[in-house]
This record gives sequence, structure tokens and C-alpha cells, in this order.
Amino acid sequence: MLSGSKNSFKIQQHKPGPALRGPKSSDMNSGRNRNCQAFPCIPGEHVLEAAAHVRKIVRSRDGEGSILGTLYCTNLRVAFVPEPAPGDTVGAPRCSTCLHSEHDVALPCIGRLVAVNSVTKAKVLTASSTLKFIPEELVLYCRDFRVLRFRFRDSGLEPRACQVTLAIVQAQESSSASAGKWYDTGAIRNLENAWLSTEESSSSPPTLLFERPCDWEKELRRLGAAGWRVSPVNERFDMATSLPKYLWVPSRLLDNELKRAFGHFNARRIPRLCWHHPGGSDLLRAAGFHADSDPEKEDVRSVEALMLAGHAQCVIVETAADLPSPAEIQLSYLKLRALCLPDSSVADEKWLSALEGTRWLEHVRACVRKACEVAALLAERSRSIMLQGRVSRSLLWPRHRLDALRLGQVCESDDRDLNCLLASLVQVLWDPHARTQSGFQSLLQKEWVVAGHPFLQRLNLLRDNDREESPVFLLFLDCVWQLLQQFPASFEFTETYLVALHDSSYIPFFSTFLFNCQWERDRRNQHRASNQIYAPVNGWREPPPLEILQKGGRLAKERGGPYLPTIWDWALRYTTQQRAQFRNPAYARGSGSTTVPNGKSAPLGGDKLEAALSGNGTMYLFAKGALSPQTHLFPWKNGSLSKKGWRRAQSSESLSEQDRSLRSSPSGCPLQSEGLLLPASVGPLIRLWRRCYLRGSQEVQRGLFASTLAELAEELDLLRERLGD
Amino acid sequence: MGGVNYVSRRRAALQPEEPDEESWEELVPLPPSCPLAGTAAGSWGGREAPGAMLGKGAGGSGAKPAKPSFVSYVSPEEIHKKEPIEKEVNLHLLPGELLLCEANTVLKCVQEDGSNRGACGKLICTNFKIAFLGDESASDDNEPEFKNKIIGENDITLHCIDHIYGVYDEKKKSLSGQLKKYPEKLIIHCKDLRVFHFCLRYTKEEEVKRIVSGIVHHSQTPKLLKRLFLFSYATAVPTNTDIQNQTVMFDAIKDWRVELERTKGNMKYKVLSANEAYKVSEKLPLYFVVPMSLSEESILQYQGRGIPIWCWSCHNGASLLKMSAFPKEQEDNTLQMHKIFLDGVYKTINKPPYEVLKTDDLSSSLPSLQDIQAAYTRFKQLFLIDNSTDFWDTDVKWFSLLESTNWLEIVRRCLKKAIEVAEYLEGQNTNVLLVEENASDLCCVISSLVQVMMDSHYRTKFGFQSLIQKEWVMGGHCFLDRCNHLRQNDKEEAPVFLLFLDCVWQLVQQYPPAFEFTETYLTVLSDSLYIPIFSTFFFNSQHQKDTNTSGEGHSAQSSHFRFLTVWDWSVQFESKAQVLLNNPLYVEKPKLDKSQRKTTRFKHQRQLSLPLTQTKSSPKRGFFREETDHFIKNILGKRISKLINSSDELHNNFTEFYDSWHCKPVDFHGLLLPHIDGPGIKVWAQRYLRWIPEAQLLGGGTVATATKILDMIEEVQSLQKKMDEKHSLTVPQGRESLPMLRNSARLSSLFPFALLQRHSLKPVLPTSTWKDLEDEDDLAKRDDEFVDLSEVI
Repeated sequence: MLSGSKNSFKIQQHKPGPALRGPKSSDMNSGRNRNCQAFPCIPGEHVLEAAAHVRKIVRSRDGEGSILGTLYCTNLRVAFVPEPAPGDTVGAPRCSTCLHSEHDVALPCIGRLVAVNSVTKAKVLTASSTLKFIPEELVLYCRDFRVLRFRFRDSGLEPRACQVTLAIVQAQESSSASAGKWYDTGAIRNLENAWLSTEESSSSPPTLLFERPCDWEKELRRLGAAGWRVSPVNERFDMATSLPKYLWVPSRLLDNELKRAFGHFNARRIPRLCWHHPGGSDLLRAAGFHADSDPEKEDVRSVEALMLAGHAQCVIVETAADLPSPAEIQLSYLKLRALCLPDSSVADEKWLSALEGTRWLEHVRACVRKACEVAALLAERSRSIMLQGRVSRSLLWPRHRLDALRLGQVCESDDRDLNCLLASLVQVLWDPHARTQSGFQSLLQKEWVVAGHPFLQRLNLLRDNDREESPVFLLFLDCVWQLLQQFPASFEFTETYLVALHDSSYIPFFSTFLFNCQWERDRRNQHRASNQIYAPVNGWREPPPLEILQKGGRLAKERGGPYLPTIWDWALRYTTQQRAQFRNPAYARGSGSTTVPNGKSAPLGGDKLEAALSGNGTMYLFAKGALSPQTHLFPWKNGSLSKKGWRRAQSSESLSEQDRSLRSSPSGCPLQSEGLLLPASVGPLIRLWRRCYLRGSQEVQRGLFASTLAELAEELDLLRERLGD
Repeated sequence: MGGVNYVSRRRAALQPEEPDEESWEELVPLPPSCPLAGTAAGSWGGREAPGAMLGKGAGGSGAKPAKPSFVSYVSPEEIHKKEPIEKEVNLHLLPGELLLCEANTVLKCVQEDGSNRGACGKLICTNFKIAFLGDESASDDNEPEFKNKIIGENDITLHCIDHIYGVYDEKKKSLSGQLKKYPEKLIIHCKDLRVFHFCLRYTKEEEVKRIVSGIVHHSQTPKLLKRLFLFSYATAVPTNTDIQNQTVMFDAIKDWRVELERTKGNMKYKVLSANEAYKVSEKLPLYFVVPMSLSEESILQYQGRGIPIWCWSCHNGASLLKMSAFPKEQEDNTLQMHKIFLDGVYKTINKPPYEVLKTDDLSSSLPSLQDIQAAYTRFKQLFLIDNSTDFWDTDVKWFSLLESTNWLEIVRRCLKKAIEVAEYLEGQNTNVLLVEENASDLCCVISSLVQVMMDSHYRTKFGFQSLIQKEWVMGGHCFLDRCNHLRQNDKEEAPVFLLFLDCVWQLVQQYPPAFEFTETYLTVLSDSLYIPIFSTFFFNSQHQKDTNTSGEGHSAQSSHFRFLTVWDWSVQFESKAQVLLNNPLYVEKPKLDKSQRKTTRFKHQRQLSLPLTQTKSSPKRGFFREETDHFIKNILGKRISKLINSSDELHNNFTEFYDSWHCKPVDFHGLLLPHIDGPGIKVWAQRYLRWIPEAQLLGGGTVATATKILDMIEEVQSLQKKMDEKHSLTVPQGRESLPMLRNSARLSSLFPFALLQRHSLKPVLPTSTWKDLEDEDDLAKRDDEFVDLSEVI
């Protein structure tokens, strides 16, 4: 489809041929032609409309101003290319990144489009609307809280303004249909090559993608989890489509035994290891018990073995109990966005209660608190802790369940939303490695991307199903930000990095957020490569090895994964200077990444073996901040227990009391809590992520404190350099 | 030393008279003119008082009977039995401080973990403080390094006590006046937001009676000025030091002249010494500055009322003035005279060379003192937490509770007013005259805020202290009444100074590099408000201080007492602790010419942006005309749209000024305008949350980065030194390092204050929920319980 051979392709040199341009390219004037050529389209992208001499209103640390440049509307995004001023470096960074800049917005990310005429009119534009005036200013309200303003006024090209505005409207409207398909084009490979060329220059430690078994092995070794192995039982996604290919399971459990456990869990998502505490505890995650699972079966033993994982004690943490449902998260997210947009009409004196009214911070607080509780459980003694999305109590409280169903509160994909959040948050609290950039990215790969968080549905990138939209991932990022601002020296990355990650979730050019699970991700890539569709309808056909399918086998060997770049290729979107801001100058390396928990020191003794052999473990249920012992695995199946089981031990005890006991028990455990962060979840300390959410407002968070520290670091480097001379 | 001897001798002579004076049962108010009042109270303890008293106490010599009249509760024998052994270890009394009563086996409860842990010890009450002396000596290896030398961890000065509650059968009751029944537990809320719980269950009944009534009496009942500990202390401390302080006190005519010169106000304004013997007014300081053209007669005419008094001059010549309004008169005649007088005054200063004058009556444009007091009372309640359950109850609705207190709104309005004033001065070249009844409350807030925002000199530590001297201490802010130090009139109480500090804190946290001091400095300063050894915050006016210092009238021996000022921080803190008060990231004013620097910066800016006039104002004006269209307004931001509705030229100016300033790069040495939008105003977390264990972050908070910053600064300095050595330049002076930040691996976010709560620094992990469940044997029993319970349900 494209000119230029695959291997020699360089994005910077790319000059799209005339065929690639939009239908209007013929009547472009010469000036615009030049501009179009200057615009570095990504493969598969073509310019629909362009307008030169547009001013983009920018607010930066240095104050408000505007940049002169050209506004493009392509089939994928709205882009703005500043004109390089002589002796100025503003335009320069744009050249080195091809996919994203602060001036670009992907079409699916546009939330609302408003055309403004200075004298009279402002109009929200939709596909059906017609523009009856010449817009002087175009305001793009983005879903990632950005507000982009383009001013045509001085351009002297009023008809152009009209055209580009309408083009954007049309493109945006059709993007939901087309964007879903654009990655099917062969052009992606070239993107891949672009990735390769940039990748060479990056020197950051590699992010484990957890698409190959060696990643799993490596991470397992790092954790020092001795009793565990990597199981390829799901390598062909024939056990569970939403699960990753490889699972961490107890070493003692053979794959044959393992397979019998799948049926007992919703969506066949069995318990598997997330993280191993150096003290011996294990963090597991699983979906709820399947309603039809039969405890009389012999399989129960393997379920039990999975859950206990060789420990004498297993605590089942009910994730959904204290945390908001995806629907609630979505609701507060919408409210928050409305509040944070510059046109919110909330008076300053009512701001705080309006903020409270969104309940967003309440949700953040609930997540942080729950993560603290689980973190504390991990340290308490050697046990296994299983995060269970929704402890199925369908038979216990049928009315509840019905009500929930009717209200649409039941998300069938438990273990794919809040379990991701909680599992990763607990690891951020405990594991200093997860607070480094590569560690954090690996964590996201492991607990979100390959674990099957339905990013496509939740972020609703293709705008095809609003009902499933729920920014669980963004809630997680907010939680991490809370930790970051409470412990500013404990993270290798900065707020800027988190904001970048936040923004990236609305860019549909990357495999990371474009699929609902790893199976889809793999299938899409295979499909594109071989034009073969694998439907897991009645069993599985043997998938041809990727290496053979791909002509550029080198690629697959190196990456072992999909063709689409992952968002971790920051170089694609951010310049070196921008990426430099991802590094936290205050990061205290001493307390961090190098100290890998040593598995040998973990007290894995004979009792563990015994327990595993006998299978006589004790089960507890942890929910609403309280703990209740549980004698049977499937209490609702046992007639005598069905009535009384699952009662909460201290259900009257408030959450707060639990938390209090967590935070301030005088007889501290003999644990080395070196790496542990125990954040406060009290009202005054859970704050609004201003830099992210209030970007659109007039008052930009400047982050002066952080940047002065960065300046200090800069000065230090400069001095060192000079002294070295 | 002679002075000390003299004092102790006099004390011996005076002792027989003392008991009556110190008695709270039959408090005989002494007339202020009583010659003994000041000296007698003050001479109670010489410097060696504690040692001497204790030493003699064992021998039962003449010192003991001198105990104040609560002796009537207890037989003297009892005192003799206990005192010598225990007290010698722990009790440190300040010069002039007297032990009034005490109680043994008091339990100090620590509420932080829900389980009532406690430390046993002795509760004492002196004429300065209430103190708890733990049995286990607290001064072991764990001695906090950021320590207040005057106020210990378990010390509460009498003026710091906000409320005292007694717990009777689980019910909390406010204690005041005469008590009929004595509580089993004492809860003390402090003005610095600490909360103490003292359990008296194991204390002897007489001791309970004595200590409770003693504490209630000494902290709650009205006092005479002369009974302030300030005087006892000042008498007892030898008048030794001439404090070398760079803080300008503004008690000399020279200080005002220098200030006039610094701000280039000396062309149009003059310093008056007409008030030298307080002939003009007792509210005014000895020296003050007025417009040059103002005649002396007019100043004398109404005791300084209706006279514009100079505060500060802007670089463009516009000045900030303040004026005490005339009291609201009923009589037409007087009213008319006042009006004529004022017209005359205005006419004088509306003429050239003075700029146009804008008057602003603060009593109508800002909340009243009652509102401020009410808001603060609600606000502080959010942080005065008796137990964790209360805290978590309020936590759920934190934001709406916070909003309903209205405190942050008042802070916002003050900041907004200050921006408005700054706009007149800077943007419109207009003189601003702030008018208030006594020009000593909100006038102080606004005028000093404007100066902090507009003059970078006042953002240095000494500059800020000088500013407080100029506007507050000399400006006649009634600290005594507003803080209610004497408990004479609750209605006069209003946290005006705290409001000012809170406003400054908002600026400090928004622009940390612009201030030489840290938020810790502000917090410590706010605490110093209640330490009665400094004269700074314990007088209503300069006149009051002078007259009370020198007894009758104004005489030659005015240096009878030498009060300490709060600005001598070494009184409270060791030098290594004082490092915490300085901002290591303060961007010092560059030596090079200011204008030169500015142009270079803006040049760079212009390349990126259009001139402001084009991009900003012209389309905006277009928008404003169209007021009906809600949407257009919103595009320009909510604040603007809100102000459009008032369709006021004034507000347009304000908004434009505010917006255009925020559009420019921040010059840390120029004008500084705070963000005053909803999310911009925050809670002064350090001051208000520092004692709440739930808000504590181990290894977190800004302290975590502070270490790094200091390390880096040190390295930069050492490298700079190396470079300078290479180029043989003078070596810049290094900053004092902060050893305490380095020593401990993980500090709490509440540092430096959290160090005072040592218990909370231990690693915190759950046990309580688990303890019961650990016992496997217990499980079966438990399970049965569940069965029963569920069947009941």
C-alpha cells in the first residue's frame, strides 16, 4: 500500500504520495502542499484538510502565548505543526516523535468540538450540524482533560477555517467506524519499523511484556517464589481466553490437576500468583466461584490446593465488597470531567462540595485503603491471600443478585477490573521495584494488559459501546498519583510520566490499550499477518508458529509478540527532553530498585509442605474491613452451612476501625518494612490530581516545587561537567 | 549577676505577701497602678528558682509555706513527702515560673490506636504552663532533635489552652468556673491543635480536686495584664543581651526613615514624631508616616482618626495608606464636622504630587471579625479530634464539612481583596486607602498581604518579621484581645493574625521558591502566639507595652524590663533546628540589574507568543459584550464568566489584571499573585494535621524530598567551591547542613512535629483483628457463635 520498502522506512523521511492525500488534495494551493508534505503522516494516515497560519493558544509554565503553525485534520487525528521560528527550537522536537505531541489529538480522544466566533456565536459541532459562520476559534475538549484552542483569526484564510473545521467534525464522526479497522491495514508493519528505528536509541531497562515464558520465569526468579512454576497450560488460550498464556501456579500442582480447577471459576479464571512477599506470603488473584461448581467433585482438592498454595492459611479478599463498581467509577468520572472542564459553572466557594459530589476521591480513597489492608495482611504472617473479584453468593442472596443485575451493576468480568487495580496497587506499596519505571511498566503488563483488563471496552476507544465504559485504569493511575504525592521520594518516575500514561490511554495506535485481552491482541496480529482467523468455537486449531508466519522473523524473535507497538515505546511519542521529565530527581535510589527480595530467606519450611499434602488449610474471608473464618470452600453447597456461613465476623465494625488498627498497632511486626509504603487515606490527604484534571482550566498547575528540584539537578550536572573539563 | 542576687533577695522579702496574691479562691484584683503588682508577681522566681526551691524544699525551709493558698486543700506534710524525689529528675522551670499545683499517678492516654495506651506520671500546673512529667524518663536516646526549648512535648502554656473538658461517666462536659464534681478524665484542647487526655482515675481525690480546679482556674478565669507570665519572666531574667537582630522593629524614627527611603516614598511622605509621648493617640505608635502636605493640627484634631497613615509605596509611586474611621456618630453636627474634615484631607492627598486616591472600607467589603471567629471555631473543630472514631466519622464528608466551615472562603476573600489592592497600585497607579474602625485588624491583614505580594523584601525572613513589626505590632493590632490571652472578653476574640498567616501560607505553598522561609516557619510562628515569654504578641498596642513596662507613665528608666521578642529564634530553637525554618530552594535575588534581567526574559517569551494586547484583550472585549451567551463566557474560564454577571468595570479590571499576570512567567522577585480559584486554596496541612496520627506518612511527605534537596545543594556548593578554587575566587559561605534529616532513614511526613509523637513512628501493621483468630482452638467456639447470631437474624 505504501511507497518505500519496509526495511528502509524512516518516519522522518516519509513523504506520502499524492494518492494518499484526501480527495481535496487537488485543489490545495501550493502553500498548503508544502505544508502537507511537511506533515509526517504515520502509515495509513492521510491528510484530509489543512489550514496554515493558525495560532494555537498555549499555556505553559512561562505563561500564555500562542504558536503559529498549521492545523491538519487527518483520518486519524487532528494535528498541529508549529512553524519553526528562526533560531527557535519550538518546532524541533516535533520532528523526532511521530505519533503524539502535545499539539495532537487522536480523533477518538476528542470529546467535544466547539467553534467560536468572537462576536456572536459559539456552537457545539456534530456531524449533522452546519456551520453558518466563519469560526475564529476552534476549541477541542479532549477526553483526556486537555483543551486545545486554535485561533484562525489572524490567518487571513477564513474559508480554510471553515473547511478544516468541518473536516474535523466529519473525521471525528467517522472515526469510530474507521479507527476500529485501521490497524488491519498492512501499514502497521511500517509503524513497526519506525518503532525499531527508535528503539535502538532507547537505553532504558526493558519492560517485561509477559508474552513469553521467559519473562514469567525471570520475574518469578526476581520474586524468589520458590514453590511456584510457570505453567503453559493456557498457551493456546484453550483454558481461558481472557487469561494470559502463562500462569504462575504452585510447583506441586501438575497441569492435569490444574485443568480441573478452571471450571470452578467464573470465566475460567483460576487463582494464580501475582506477587510473592519475601516473608513468605503469596498474593493471588482469581475470579469468583462459578455458580455451578460442584464441591462434591474431586476437583475441589485442586481448587483448594491452588488457593492455599502450600500455606496453612488462606484469606479470600473480596475485592468488590468495598470498592466501587465499574459503573460507579464511570459515573463519578463523568462528573469529575464536567467539574474540571473550564466551562464548569461551579462557584469557587462551592468547589469543594462539588468535588465531593463527584465521589471520585471517595473511590480513590477506598482503593488506597483496601490496598493498605491487603498489604498489611501480606506482612502479617505467611499465608496466601487471594483477591477474588466477586465472591459468588448468588445462592446466598439471590435477591441481591437480582437487584444488582437489574441495575446493571454486575459486571460479568470479575477479576478483570478491580482485581487488576488492587493487585497492582498492593505491589506498588510493597515492592520498590514496582516503583521504578520499568518495574511499573512490567507490573502493568502483568496485572492489566496480559491479565485481560478489557481496555477496549473500559476506555471505549472506538466509541461503540458506552455502557461498558469505565475508566478503572485511570482510577488506578490516580491512586498511584496519590502515593506519588504522599511519598515523593519513593518513585523513580514523576507525575509527568503518569500524565503521559494517562494521555496514552486515549491514543488508539498501540496494542496495549486497544484490546480486551491477550488472546484478542494475539489473534489480531496473527490475522493480519496470515489472513487467517482463529475462532475458538469448537476447540482450537494449531496456530502456526509466529516465526514462520512473519516474513521478518527477526522481529518476532526479538519481541515475541504483536506487531503493534506498545505504549512503552515512549520514544515514539515523546522527545528525549520530555522523557527526561519522567525521571524523578528526588528519587531516593537507596530505598529502591536494587533490593530484590531474596527467596532463599523466605521461611518456606516443612509446615508448608505438610499443609499442602494434607490440604487442611484454614480459609478466611476478608471483606468490609473485617475477617471471618470459613470452614468450607463452597459454603452455599453445604446444606448445614448455607444459612449461617459467610456471616461477617464484625460486620458492625466500621471500616475506619479496621484501618485504624492497621495504621497504628503498637506492637509492630518483626518484618522489615523497608520497602513498604503505608499511605494515608484520610480526607485531607487524598487530593485532586490537578495537573491531570485541571489542565484545561485557566489555572494550570505549574508544579514549581518539582521543577526547581529538577533545575537543581540540572545545575549539579552542569557543574560536574564543567569540573570534569 | 548582681541583678539576680537582688531579685532573689527581694523575693525572700516579699514572700509573706505572696500567697494572697496567687490565690485563686479569693482573687483580689489589684489596681493596675499598684506598685507591687508588676514586680511582686515577677520576682517570684529568680533564675535559680527551681533549683533553690527544690533544694530547700527537702529541708522544709521558708520556701514551702510560700506555696500558694491551695495549701488549704492539703496538709503540708503531704507535699514534703513526695516532692523532693520525683521533681528533681524532671521538672524544669523557667525563670520566674512557679509550681502551683500537681497531681501524681496521672495517666496520659494516647488515643492513636484505639486501644487506650497511656503513660503514667505527674501532672503539674505552674503559672506558665501545664506539664505532664512521665515516670519513664522521656529524655533518653530518643531525644527529638527539632525541639522547642521552651515548650516541651507535654507542655501546654496556659495561653495555649483552648478548651478543657471533663469526662464524667463517658460524657464529655466543658469545664469552667467553680466545679462541684470532679471528672475522671481531663481532655485539653490546645490552640496549637494538640489534644491531651489525662486520666485521673488512679489519682488521689484531693489531688484531682486540686489539679483540676487549678488548671481550670489558671487557664479559664480572667486575668490582669500584670499577671501575665511575661512580666514574671522578664523580671527574673537578667536584662542581659542586646539582641543582635536584623529585624527592623520600627520603634525608632530611623527605622521609618529607612523604610521610606527604601520604598522611595520619602518624596511625598514624612515621619511624624508628634506622638512621642502618646499625645496624639494611644493607639498609634510613637512614630508614623503621613502625607507631607498634611498639617500637624489636623492630625491632632481627632486623635489620629481620619488621618491617612502610610503603609508602603509602590515602585511607581502609588502608595498604600490606612485610616481609622470615625466612630458611627448619631449627632448630625459631629457627622457633618467629620465629613468636612475628611473632605479636606482627601482634597490634600488627591492633589499632585499624589496619585488618585481609592478608598476601600474593609469593614463592609470583608467578613466581620465575628464571622472570622465563627468560621475558625468551626474549622479548627475538624482537627481537634478526641478519638479516632470521631475523626473517621468526619472523614467521610471531609470536603463538604471543610467547605461549610467557610474558613477557606474567608482566606480566599482576603487574598482576593489583596489582589484588588495590588491591581490599583500596580495596574492603575492609584493610591489605595484602607479604612477600618481602628485600622488595626483587617487593615493589617490586607496591607501586609499586599506588601508580601508586591515587595520581595518582605518575602525574606527578616523582611517578613519587619513587616509584622511594622503593620501588626506597631500598627496596633490588639493581640491581647484578639487572642484572648487574658480571658477577659470572649467577644473580642478573633484569629486575625492566624488568618494572615494562613493567607501567607497559601502564597508560600503556591510559590515556594519566592520565600526565604518555609511553612514550618509559619507554623512555628503561629505557635509562638501563645508563649508568654515574648512581648511581641502580648500587648494591644505600643502604648500599652510602654506604660506597663515602666510602671507609672513614661519615664527615663524605661528599660526596667527587657522583654524578649519572638524574632530571636534562638530562644526557642537550637541553631540546627532553625535550619528548618529556612527554605533551601529560595531563589535569592540576583545581583545584576533588575530591569536588565527582565528584558532578557521577556525577549525570549515574545518569540513564542503574540503581544498580549492582541491575543488577549481584543477578543475578550468582544466576548464581554455578549453577555447572554453562556457558552462564550465559559470558554474564557469560569471565573470570568462569574464576574461578567456583575458587569462591573472594576471586576473587569481585576480579572484582566489577574489573568494577564498568570499568563506571564513568574518572577519570584516581582509581583506575586496567588491562585484564588476553588482548587487553589488549600488547607494548611502542616499546622492543622500535624498531631493527627492518621494523617501521618512514614517516609513520605515533603520531608522525603527535603533530604535529597539538601544533599544536592551541598554537592552544588562543594562543586562551586572547587570551581571557585580553580579560578581563585572567594569561597561562598556554605549553608548549615541538617544532620537530623540524614540520621533517620525514614522520617514521617509530619516532621518536624511528628517527632514529638514518638510512638507513632513505629512501623504500623495490623494485629488487633488477627489476635483473636490466631488461636486455632478458639475457632470452633467462634464458629458456634456465628451460628447463633445468624439464626437470630
